[in-house]
Order: sequence, then structure tokens, then C-alpha cells
Amino acid sequence: MTTTSLVTARNVTKTFGDVRAVDNVSFSIDEGKILGLIGPNGAGKTTLLKAVLGLTDCEGELSVLGLDPFRQRKQLMQNICFIADVAVLPRWIRVAQLLDFVEATHPNFSRKRCEELLGQTKIRSTSKVRELSKGMVTQLHLSIITAIDAKLLVLDEPTLGLDIIFRKEFYSNLVNDYFDGKRTILITTHQVEEIENLLTDIMFIHEGRIVLESPMEGIADSYVELLTSGENLAKARGFGPIATREVFGKSVLLYENVDRNNLKGLGELHTPSVADLFVAKIKGAQA
Amino acid sequence: MIGHQLALIRREIWEHRAIYVTPFVIAIVVTLLTLTGQVSISAFGDAVDLAIVGASNVDAVHRRMVLTGILSVVTSVFAFGAWIVTVFYSLDALYAERKDKSILFWRSLPITDAETVVSKLVTALLVIPLVSLGAVMLTQLAILVLFGLWVMMQGGDAGHLVWSSAPLMDLWLAGLLLAIAMPLWLSPFVGWFLFVSAFTKRSPLLMAFLPILILPMLERMFLRSHYLYDAIFERSFKPPIANIETLIRFDESDFRLGEDAISIVSSLDMVRFVTSPSLWAGIIVCGLLVTAAIYVRRYRDESY
Repeated sequence: MTTTSLVTARNVTKTFGDVRAVDNVSFSIDEGKILGLIGPNGAGKTTLLKAVLGLTDCEGELSVLGLDPFRQRKQLMQNICFIADVAVLPRWIRVAQLLDFVEATHPNFSRKRCEELLGQTKIRSTSKVRELSKGMVTQLHLSIITAIDAKLLVLDEPTLGLDIIFRKEFYSNLVNDYFDGKRTILITTHQVEEIENLLTDIMFIHEGRIVLESPMEGIADSYVELLTSGENLAKARGFGPIATREVFGKSVLLYENVDRNNLKGLGELHTPSVADLFVAKIKGAQA
Repeated sequence: MIGHQLALIRREIWEHRAIYVTPFVIAIVVTLLTLTGQVSISAFGDAVDLAIVGASNVDAVHRRMVLTGILSVVTSVFAFGAWIVTVFYSLDALYAERKDKSILFWRSLPITDAETVVSKLVTALLVIPLVSLGAVMLTQLAILVLFGLWVMMQGGDAGHLVWSSAPLMDLWLAGLLLAIAMPLWLSPFVGWFLFVSAFTKRSPLLMAFLPILILPMLERMFLRSHYLYDAIFERSFKPPIANIETLIRFDESDFRLGEDAISIVSSLDMVRFVTSPSLWAGIIVCGLLVTAAIYVRRYRDESY
């Protein structure tokens, strides 16, 4: 384990009865990374996050900030924050009470910072959470978390059910207010396209296994998409694409570890989007 | 640790406003009833004058007994209210947070499950009774003020008839002792309610009371024994702290306050209470159930 690895997982497995929700997974997350954990429903994302957060026990070796997350949860929670879903703030509480409570229980919380952040929103300290819209609740939660000096932030579908304006704002606040280059973020979402430009690393998970783990810049090196049609198509197929799809009568072929120079004359070359790569990888894993 | 507990208990009071709203409402109702009672009694004119003259001639011990009796009834109304609040509070304490999923937020803070569950136990066993005791004291003062004013308006000597006769310190000290002792005596129920609240997927009230009612019946039907019945019902109503018979003597048709009612504190046998095996057995049962509740909150993750 290097000193900058915040999370190290070695052969982590979690089974529910006969189902292996997480199946022999190994990975590490370094300090300062924003890792996107992408997977279809039931892929084991949430189970993996729960293991990282110490909410569930698992087999194998898992170390988060040098701690055993399940057995040393209290220490862990001083340096980890998480937003599990938009609706988890207690509905009966007033904003000011919420800040009082976090201030009293979290050693790394800065109330001043939180109030500054809330000052930029329409959220008033006298409001009850139940009076706020879903988007505002998420803003509130993010403001609290941004004001906690934590090493690792875990976000599980943080923008689920929010409209596009709040979603954009959430991620822009996340990058501008929260992220300072030293903090580390682990995030899962279905809306990959909205976060792909802020990720530094990406990990695809399918049926409990990691099918891709790469830095974002590594994707351009390893993967290329070719837009082609007609006679070039047959030639292009010869290079063994991992996926093919049709767009407006043309074919888009996706290659893994194929030299771009070989494909140059056959059509337009692009770096694939994370969403397309994801679909290709998952379909490939199913085939 | 203590700082966390205070923050956690404060949160319980924010969330469960019934803890202070219920005694407040009872206080208002009791005070209003006192007031309307006095207004209607005043209508009896001469009879009232006679009563005041009569009261003035009765010896101090009897005046003290009557006032102790009246003010103790007030205490018991609050105690009953506090117990109802405790039952509903402890059934809700670990259930509501799972139902609205806020447990995920609470668990994202650096607080252990044990700290959280203990704060709920402390709220049930200490905060609710003490808040009610505060309300009892204020209400008793309000009643005495009203009595005093009324007696004055009728031309009586309030200082003599009311203030010097009301054994407030005795009542309040007894109230404090009972506010600490009775929750401990009933703590196995609180432990059970907290456990059900942590455990059940739906209707905690039903899940808590059905076994309490049905299991003793089944025991009686199939085993022809009554251990559960005794442990649940017999024990509950017989705390080894005071003999109810010495406080209130039942004669054939009427009851009157016994001699001990002059001082409630001296009728409480705290030594017998504290050394009673039944008390400690109850506390151990409570401890086991609370530990189970902590365990359930810690290890079950169906809420996510």
C-alpha cells in the first residue's frame, strides 16, 4: 500500500445467500482522485460503497484511510462524508438545528463555511427540511459536506430525481467549492455523461466484477471509435472492434488497444464517450 | 462522549416534541380545571364560608393531608401522561429514522450506534420523567396560588390555610425519587420497546404489545403456569418502593388517606427498592434488550 492510497481493496467479496454482489474485487483509490464507479442496476456498486463506508462487512482485505471500515467506523466517519440519496436528511429538522447537531458531533465541521455556502442559496436557517424542495435538500446536504474537512467523499447517486438545473449546479459546486485537488471523491451515478468531464478515473462494475479500471486520459490511449460506412466497414471489422452500433446509416466501431494509425484511412476517429464505452464493455461482458 | 450525548439528547427533544408538549398541555388542563372548579364552588355561598371556617379549625396535620392528597393526584396524572409518552417515544425512536431513511444521514456522522441508542434510552428513562416533574412542580405551584387567591377572595387566611400547610418540599423530593425510581423499575419495558423499534419492519405498537398480551395467555393455556404473567403484569404494578395500602387505606365504602400520607418521602422505602432483586433483574433485561437494539442498528443494512 502506498502512502497516497486512500482506499485499498484486495479480493473483496460480499455474498447475499447464493448471490455474489461483489465478487473478488481489487482496486485502489489514490488521494486527489475523482473516481466514477459506473455500473448497471444490481451490479454491486451500492454494496461496494457500503463496504467502503463500513455499513456492511465483507470478505477479503479492505482498508479505507488505513482503517478497517466496518470495525473502526467511528474514526472512519471523522474523515469520510457520504451522500447516499437525496432524501436522507431528516424531514422534521430545521436547518439551524441540523447545523447545531453536526457542529456538536463532527470535529471537522466548519459552521462558518457552511453558513457562507448556504448564504449563496435560497435556503433559510429557520426552514424545516420538509419545506425545502428536493433540489434544495441536496444543496443543503452538499453545503454541510463541503464544510466538513474530510479526506474522502462518497456520493451514491447524489442527483437522483433532481432536475437538470440542480444537477448541473450540484456538480459545479462540487468541483468549485468542495474539490481542492487534495480531497478524494468516489461517485456513482447513472447519468455518466454529466460527470465524465470532472472525473479523473473511472471504474466499471458489472455483476460484482470490475470490467474496466482506468484514468480518464488512459481511455484515449486505449480506446478509439471509428465512424465509417460502405467498403471501409468490412476492413474496419477486420481489426476486431469490441462493439458496433449504427448511427444515421453509418457504423460506429469501438476498438480496444488498436493503433489509431491502422484505422486512420477508414473514417473519422474519436475518443469514445464514457457512456458508449460503458455500454460496449457491459455488452461485451454479457456476451 | 458527554458532548455527543448532550447533542444527541437535544436532537431527541427536537424530534419528539411530545416530550414537553404533553406535560405542558396537562399543566394547562389541570390549571384550568382548578380555576373552573373554584368558580363553580364559589356559587355555593354560605356553604363555602362554612367550609373555610371548618378548614381553619381543623388541625395542621389534616390540612397537610388534604393538600398532599390533592397535589399527589396531580402528580399521578402527569406520571401517567409521561408513561404514555415514554411508550410511544421508545417505539418510535429507532423506527422513524429507518422509515424516512434519515438513518443514513445520522450514520454518516462520527457517532457510534451505541452512543445513539444510549441517548434514546437516557431520553426515555431520565429526560421524559424529569421534564414531567418540572411541569408537576410548576402546576402544583399554580394550583396553590389559585387556592390561595380563592381563599383570600372568600375572606380566609391563605398563608395559614394554604401556604404553610402545603408540604411542597416533601412532595417534590418524593416526586424526584419516584421520577428516577419508576422508570428504572419499568426499564425492561423500555428496553423491549427500543428493541422492537430497532427490529420491526412495520407497526411497532402492534409488534410490541401482541407478544406481551398473547405469550402469557399461551403459557397459561399450554403450560398451565403463569411465570410470564407474573413477570409482566404482577411485577409492573408492585414496585417494592412503598406499600400502596399505607398511602391510601380502603375502608368498606370510602377510602381515606393513611397517616403516612403526611409525608410521602418517609413512606418510600428506597433501601428496599434499591436492594430488590426484581429491580436488578429488570435492569439486566433492559440492558440485554438495549444491547440487542444496538446490535440490530449496527449490523442490519436493509435500510440502504
